[in-house]
Amino acid sequence: MRVLVVEDEPDLLRVVAATLREDGYAVDTAADGEDALYKATAWEYDAILLDVMLPKLDGWSVLRRMREVKRTPVLMLTARDTVGDRVRGLDAGADDYVVKPFSLTELKARLRALIRRSAGQAVAVIEIGDVQIDTVGKLVKRGDAIVPLTATEYSLVELLALHRQKLVTRTTIYDHLFDEQDDSLSNLVDVHVSNIRKKLGRDFITTRRGLGYVIEG
Amino acid sequence: MIRSLRWRLQAWHAVVLTAVLMIFGVIVYHLLWQTRLNEIDAGLDRTAEVVISHLRRLSLMPQWRGWRPPMELPTGPASNEVADPTEDGNRSISLDATPSAEPEFRPWPIPVLGLPAEQVPQPSGVRLLPEEFSPLFKGEDSSWYFVIWARDGHVLEKSEIAPEVEFENHFVESSWLPVRIARTRWGKREVVHVANFGTHVLVGRSIELEVATQHASGWILAACGWAILALGVIGGGWLSGRTIRPIATMSNIAKNISAENLSQRIDVQETDSELGQLAHVLNQTFDRLESAFEQQARFTADASHELRTPLSVIMSQIELALSKPRSNAEYLAALETCQRASRRMRQLIDSLLLLARFDSGQPDLNCGPLDLSEVATESVELLRPLADEKQIKLGSDMTPVPFVGDRERLGQVMMNLLSNAIRYNQDGGRVDVRVERINGDAVVSVSDTGIGIPASDLPHIFERFFRVDRTRSRADGGSGLGLAICQSVVEAHGGQITARSEPQCGTTLEVRLPIAAESETLSQNS
Repeated sequence: MRVLVVEDEPDLLRVVAATLREDGYAVDTAADGEDALYKATAWEYDAILLDVMLPKLDGWSVLRRMREVKRTPVLMLTARDTVGDRVRGLDAGADDYVVKPFSLTELKARLRALIRRSAGQAVAVIEIGDVQIDTVGKLVKRGDAIVPLTATEYSLVELLALHRQKLVTRTTIYDHLFDEQDDSLSNLVDVHVSNIRKKLGRDFITTRRGLGYVIEG
Repeated sequence: MIRSLRWRLQAWHAVVLTAVLMIFGVIVYHLLWQTRLNEIDAGLDRTAEVVISHLRRLSLMPQWRGWRPPMELPTGPASNEVADPTEDGNRSISLDATPSAEPEFRPWPIPVLGLPAEQVPQPSGVRLLPEEFSPLFKGEDSSWYFVIWARDGHVLEKSEIAPEVEFENHFVESSWLPVRIARTRWGKREVVHVANFGTHVLVGRSIELEVATQHASGWILAACGWAILALGVIGGGWLSGRTIRPIATMSNIAKNISAENLSQRIDVQETDSELGQLAHVLNQTFDRLESAFEQQARFTADASHELRTPLSVIMSQIELALSKPRSNAEYLAALETCQRASRRMRQLIDSLLLLARFDSGQPDLNCGPLDLSEVATESVELLRPLADEKQIKLGSDMTPVPFVGDRERLGQVMMNLLSNAIRYNQDGGRVDVRVERINGDAVVSVSDTGIGIPASDLPHIFERFFRVDRTRSRADGGSGLGLAICQSVVEAHGGQITARSEPQCGTTLEVRLPIAAESETLSQNS
């Protein structure tokens, strides 16, 4: 899962980005409104965490202008907590609203729910055959046994599971799994798919040659 | 309700209108009556004059010349008969008709009517009243009457329906001016003319008809008065209602204006009337109120944002650090982040408390004698490393200026101004500090060769949390309160701070502090 974190306070930006990376997300960052708008429109993100008070272009404007071209789910981060501000944020096209200071656990839960909802999955545990994918615990079980997956492998499984029975192209996989800081060796999608097949069975992921991958179940 | 402006206005209006109508009605009633009386009198006078001229003519008749009436009026029974003229038609004033020759007696000018015809040397056809008057006085329904008295008060002639009238002598011996008396009594109007030799001619008539007409007029007047009063009160009510309505609208709007809804304004249609002006003044007040509220709301939002952001950093950093075992280096980095954030919070809270103290009017200044140039020099030396870092040349032109003030706070002002000048300067630019004395004011000015402040932002730079460019200040750790604090400190010293700026050329901030007489003596003593 790839997310964009927009925050003008450098320490907060660093902490949030570090937290999400530890949770297996690919994280891009932006420290001002213009950078945020550029990145939000140029890349496919699973979600955007957007601060309201930003230099150059405020959060509302970023949201409004991004909504003209993208439907990426947006979680607003703000110190403004009046009802009017919340309503304004939700009306402007934000999908959720977190008031500073926030708990990272709550932020992560809201982010997960947001990504799940936008992919059309309402529940936290996705079942495909005898494979269960727990998006809260970031675990994959086969029967009762936990299948050990790396963070990238889990992200790939989750991405394909969220879009099950739909073709996911290699570009999409690349866009959603790796952030701008990833080096070129870690983003070999074929290697990750092959490793997942070894752990979950050959037929778990179907290859559409020249197009991408799909979970048929 | 009773005390409401509208009802008081209405009541006063009604009272004044009633008074005016009453006075007017009385005057009109009186004038009307006077006119009627004058008309009546004119008729009576005309008649009386005709009678008198007739009498005068009679007195000149040749058959009366040389005739002397009896010297004395009869007394006794004859007098009684005078007092009872109703006894019979025969007016039996028995006069001795024998002409007397006593010379001192004045000639009787008028034929003595009522004497038995044989006693009076009477030419045929001679009468006291002209013939034409008989229908006037003798008609069945005639209300006219007359009485003619001789000078001594005995009745010479009177009409049939004449009432009993007491003789009053109005003849003045010495004056030959004609005398005329008019009077009203018992529903009758009478005029008495005194003719030649004191003959009194009274002509009267009943004025019951006129009195009745006058009463009717009075009733009409009263009715009109009531109608006008009613119209006036209704009209006045309508008018006062119209006048009061804008006030009611205004008070309703003012009532509706609250912290949540400050944007409503009174619709000013009549810009010239007093109410229009009032509405205008109220609207201006609402504008000020709204902007004050907006400023307050913005300040609160900004303050909460500024405080919550470092708090978020601390909370998130701690949560992240505690989420799993970390290396020492990671813990160290986490603690450093928390320290940075908490320092920022402390700085912000200190600034806010300082501003709050200035706002409450208890600035808590620790005043003492000082030299402003010394304070400025200290600040310049403290900030020189920062200037050197950006290759900025720090120039200073200082004259010793003694002043009484809070050394620490004034130093803070200089530090704020200088660090702004350095921070917003271009690399390799200049910052000039001047301390001088102009017209009894201590003037400290700090000029830079920086990017300048756009004219539209210039009025706002002393507002709390205002930043011309937020990117720069956040990166430098500025809170946006520096200039606001400068302004509060300078104003607490009775001075003022102003900014001049030319975009792309530079900005000059000037602090002007009045030097009080006491500060000079204090500094001389020290």
